[in-house]
Amino acid sequence: MSFIDSPAIVLDAVSKSYGEVRAVDEISISIGRGEFFGLLGPNGAGKTTLIEIVEGLRLPDAGTITVLGRSPAPRNLDLLPLIGVQTQRSAFFTRLTAREHLVTVAALYGLPPATAEKALDLVGLTGSGDVRVTKISGGQRQRLAIASTLVHDPEVVFLDEPTAALDPEARRDLGQMLRNLKAIGKTIVYTTHHLDEAQNLCDRVAILSAGRVLALDSPRELIARSGIGTRLVIPAGRLSPEQAGTLDGVNGVAVEDGMLVLRTAHTARVLAALDGAADLDDVETRPATLEDVYLELIGAPQA
Amino acid sequence: MSAYAALSRAVYKAAVRDATTVFFTFAFPLIFLVIFALIFRNQEVADTGRGYVDYIAPGVLSWGLANAALFGVAFTLMQWRNDDLLRIIRLSPTSIWSVIGSRYVVALGIGAAQCVLFVGVAMLPVFGMRPDPTWPLAIPIMLLAVTAFLALGLIVGSAANTPEAVAAIANCVVVPMAFLSGSFYPLELMPTWLQEVSRILPMRYVNDGLTYAFTGFGTMADYLISCAALVVFTAVFAVVGVRTFRWSNDS
Repeated sequence: MSFIDSPAIVLDAVSKSYGEVRAVDEISISIGRGEFFGLLGPNGAGKTTLIEIVEGLRLPDAGTITVLGRSPAPRNLDLLPLIGVQTQRSAFFTRLTAREHLVTVAALYGLPPATAEKALDLVGLTGSGDVRVTKISGGQRQRLAIASTLVHDPEVVFLDEPTAALDPEARRDLGQMLRNLKAIGKTIVYTTHHLDEAQNLCDRVAILSAGRVLALDSPRELIARSGIGTRLVIPAGRLSPEQAGTLDGVNGVAVEDGMLVLRTAHTARVLAALDGAADLDDVETRPATLEDVYLELIGAPQA
Repeated sequence: MSAYAALSRAVYKAAVRDATTVFFTFAFPLIFLVIFALIFRNQEVADTGRGYVDYIAPGVLSWGLANAALFGVAFTLMQWRNDDLLRIIRLSPTSIWSVIGSRYVVALGIGAAQCVLFVGVAMLPVFGMRPDPTWPLAIPIMLLAVTAFLALGLIVGSAANTPEAVAAIANCVVVPMAFLSGSFYPLELMPTWLQEVSRILPMRYVNDGLTYAFTGFGTMADYLISCAALVVFTAVFAVVGVRTFRWSNDS
């Protein structure tokens, strides 16, 4: 069964330049079947270009791309039904209802209207099927866009910032929907600026900057390897920064916004040492997050 | 349902659900037709025994056909590209010819409806148009006119990135062409050099062909030349249209 075990997507030394700008600079990534893969990075890091190359919409200057064992370019009619792509702009047919739009998209894949009904149901939009695409709310638009992506039941799904511009509740719902997709075995490649979400959802993430992969691993592994450790936040005045620096296990001390911040890789030891010096109820424990790793790698000043 | 049928339905629904499209496709040319027909009511063109309406109706019809075909496809193309719909289609197994074909069949349907409506209104007793028995010759001209202006619309739709740009470019193309092709104003009343200029405009041949079909003005040879000219214009516009075609705005 080596076919099943073979990776869903293999990028080998893929490069793409626009004039002097190296949008994608010798990127090699292998994404497994059923994997939830996140592409992270600041705007202009090359995420969208990279995804468009994988989709076959752009040709790389160098390197090879294989998606489900096939080359995405030139336009590959065997591959296209196996991939689903959500674009950043919500692409809906003009002046149609949600249901009519999905029926049209289904027909693009030669599928009957019943498939559209299933996709509508999958994203929980059955009740809004007869609403014009211009009239539906932001969260529902995003769901409809994802339904369009899934209508032909693709194996690999590309989502470009699916949770951008959503309110927290809609974002949580969509996150659950994405988890369900993973549960039914879809390979998902997505870009996002919400690092908390990426940390929760992704099996692995690649952090991109200036067309290069700065880091690639599971969020847990990236956090552990970063050595950022846990931060313990104590209201200032309970003990002096000098005192804090001498405590067992403390790696660094800082005063931020009137709070004393201790950094450590050994939370339990520091808490034990703090007991007595400060009320432990006042101590807030903040484990390192993917966002900390990201900001350290990208070079923004750390919070 | 085939992709072609589904896209045709999508285009058709988008058109009939838009009041502006319906107005400029049907009502606006009809207003011109009614105004001209009322102004020249009961007047005959010298030595022909025909009412002015027999000449006005084909002129307004040729302008209406050209206008609807060009605007319709240009808007659809610009909108579908802006909304990333072309990208969605590009990423499905559907061919671009299904997309263009679906737009084409809707444009032909709209053209046929315009012909029936405008000629029908002109034939009301109050206006009194009397088409010649050769009127079926209008059908090939209608088909060719829609085809030629649809191909021209592909170029406009690729050149323009906003609805405003589509409207501006399309109006700059159609309005002067309508005047210079004799759609509103008999060519015979224009200076000779302007009559010659009109020969490089596709709408002139639509107008000539429709006038011949409905009134017998001109000769069969002229009619055939009109058909041939429209085929040539279509070929030229189609070649340019395919070359200027873009799947998205940023590539």
